[in-house]
Amino acid sequence: MPADETDSTPGRPGRPGPSRRQLLTGAGAAGAGVVAGGLAGYFGRGAADQAAGADGAGDSDQTVPFYGPHQAGIGTAAQDRLAFGSLNVTGGTSPAELRDLLREWTQAAARMTRGALVGEVTEPHAPPLDTGEAVGSPVSRLTITLGYGPALFDQRFGLSGRKPAELAQLPPLPNENLDPASSGGDLCVQACSDDPLVAFHAVRNLARLGMGVVEHNWMELGFGKTSSTNTAQATPRNLLGFKDGTRNIKSEQTQLMDSYVWAGAEAGQPWMRGGSYLVARKIRMFIENWDRDYLADQQNVIGRSKVSGAPLSGGTEFTAPDFATAAIPADSHIRLASHEHNHGTRILRRGYSFTDGIDPQSGTLLGGLFFIAFMKSPRQFIQLQQALAADALNEYIQHVGSAVFACPPGLRPGQHWGDGLFA
Amino acid sequence: MTSADRRRAAPRRMTPRATALAAISAGLALTAAGCGSSSGSSGSASPATAADKATTVSISLTPQGCAPKPARVTAGEVDFNVANKDADAVSEAELRTNDLAKILGEQENLTPGLSGGFALTLQPGTYKINCPGAAQSRWTLTVAGKASGPAWQSSPQLAAAVSGYSSYVSQNTASMVTSTQQLCAAIDAKNLSQAELLYPKARVFYERIEPVAEIWGNLDTDIDGRWENPVTVQSQFLGFHRIEQMMWADNTLTGASQMCAGLVKNEQQLLSLVRSASYNPLEMASGATDLINEAATAKIDGEEERYSNTDLPVFQANVDGAMEVVTLLQPYLQKKDPSLLTLIKRRDAAIAAQMAHYQASPGYDGTGYVEYSTVLDTQRRQLSGTVNAFAEALSKVSLRVS
Repeated sequence: MPADETDSTPGRPGRPGPSRRQLLTGAGAAGAGVVAGGLAGYFGRGAADQAAGADGAGDSDQTVPFYGPHQAGIGTAAQDRLAFGSLNVTGGTSPAELRDLLREWTQAAARMTRGALVGEVTEPHAPPLDTGEAVGSPVSRLTITLGYGPALFDQRFGLSGRKPAELAQLPPLPNENLDPASSGGDLCVQACSDDPLVAFHAVRNLARLGMGVVEHNWMELGFGKTSSTNTAQATPRNLLGFKDGTRNIKSEQTQLMDSYVWAGAEAGQPWMRGGSYLVARKIRMFIENWDRDYLADQQNVIGRSKVSGAPLSGGTEFTAPDFATAAIPADSHIRLASHEHNHGTRILRRGYSFTDGIDPQSGTLLGGLFFIAFMKSPRQFIQLQQALAADALNEYIQHVGSAVFACPPGLRPGQHWGDGLFA
Repeated sequence: MTSADRRRAAPRRMTPRATALAAISAGLALTAAGCGSSSGSSGSASPATAADKATTVSISLTPQGCAPKPARVTAGEVDFNVANKDADAVSEAELRTNDLAKILGEQENLTPGLSGGFALTLQPGTYKINCPGAAQSRWTLTVAGKASGPAWQSSPQLAAAVSGYSSYVSQNTASMVTSTQQLCAAIDAKNLSQAELLYPKARVFYERIEPVAEIWGNLDTDIDGRWENPVTVQSQFLGFHRIEQMMWADNTLTGASQMCAGLVKNEQQLLSLVRSASYNPLEMASGATDLINEAATAKIDGEEERYSNTDLPVFQANVDGAMEVVTLLQPYLQKKDPSLLTLIKRRDAAIAAQMAHYQASPGYDGTGYVEYSTVLDTQRRQLSGTVNAFAEALSKVSLRVS
């Protein structure tokens, strides 16, 4: 029997699936479209494929659905890059203008997240509708997530009756020295992608569409994810050099997602059901000081082994820490932040490393963790941050920016951001 | 990046060749504007008279279709009146290119009982009227006659706007020359305090029409250059800002007389150039956006009037120059895109509301405004947001008039 016939035997046990390259090659042949469609299960949304995309290797043209029960960019496997815009609504804007902008943003976000431009760039006598820097860049799992800040619910837009009771500025918290220039905002746009240019392009174009209705409050770029959010992702490292997010909620843990991440009936506001609260904290790391700390102390501060990520109580990275032992110091970060220490409270962390360059006064690096977390109620973050008052890590970090936003639930095609809010 | 750098990086709005062409066609445009109000009695097919009267095409949306009446018109401005008496399944009419690839104009959302329309300047050729939902959705419109020059010349409103803008530029340039001569007289008389009052008065005329002056690249640099533009060489630092530096930073008028005389000479050269130049609506529109871009960058950060702190009156001059363009184009925009016109006016009003906070009488150096260094960073940021919103709306005019 010729070898090629053997190879074509369907359902042969132990045979690996075709590679993406084979699939693409096959697509060139007549009728291969049907074959490719039939094999989409291997490559469309399979776990293996997600893992490949999550590492940013290949599959850069992979898209994340914009529409769904929850907004993308929360349970989505964390992309490598972030562009985060905090915007304020400009004075004198009417509720109708704000609502129109949210509709326009929805359409633009739906287009961009499927890899399309905001609009045409061919009309010679008009400024191009799309700014153009992402032309030719694969969409790289772009997600765009919208959030409403507490101030949006003041008297300006008639939304005070729509404000979720949970949504308020965070109270003063330990180890913070907040800069108003990196805090708050009426609206936020979180754009995540495996390509930094694609993420930046999304925020830039939404802000441009909104010019005159909204204006930048602050903006942050994240250059490396610091949390894994599904089980297929390897745990990334933060600028401290430690694995971060080992015990994070994973999006496949739907029960934990429902218990700790998605707002439900308790949100009080029907438009918020299925949404989630986003807490953003710009956390500066004094990394020069950290880098001078000896290894054993660094590990004691965190409570884990630097290289393996295993808890100091033993085992491997994913071994549950044994907080009954003194091996994990009483003031270590993972002990104080653990759900065991906080009456079960958890959050979905989805942060990024950032740098703003060099501190002009000290000459040291301005950088650290742009912490983002999603939760059912901002109280979860408040509780955890209060517990971190005694954190040994506080010697090396400081919270310098803070914001909280209510991210509404996902949309069905034909629905728009703001529909529920202004209904 | 200096504003001068930004200017260099920007695409040229008007090449010398384009200027020459525009100058030739401006004569025709003026003719058209001049007789635009008369009832076009001439039967000649010249572009000027073709532009004389707008043809009307009536389109009735019916279940059967959208036949244009008449189906054959002469090139030039065409008003399309679209009405839907009782066609439930048809609600729009589009004018498309004959290959259907491009929509040139449309009236949407006409449910039974509603009517509307749009206006276009059409060149000879075959076009399609498209009304989705009708039994026959595509109908032919033939445009006969001769191709006119640039399409805008067939619009009396655009032609009038262009000639109005030519006058505006000439008048402001002439006023600049006169007021600069007064400044020079004070300098010659060694009257520094009087010169300080006259400097910002001369500046505003230039800041209303600057994009036009930029057509003649070196002249703009010689009149309005900064120390870092073009070459960060003090000996080549000329014009308004060198005089500003002498008066406010060096606190001396030594050498200022000669500098001021040179400035007047350059301004007079500019005046003779602008008197023979002419423009087109696209240049007017993009120039208006450029003026506001100037305000948003070089004025907001205090870069432009760094020695004198008289940024506020020249900021206002940029806005005024842009709004003059909008006012001149208003009759056309009112028909073409009334909501854009409304948006521009609202955003202009928002700037006025902000600027009102900084008005003073007689104000800093008699400018009618406070000294710019007293405007706080937070206030500057607010002003910047307002002016950027205005510029964004203005930038949409170019498509409408092209």
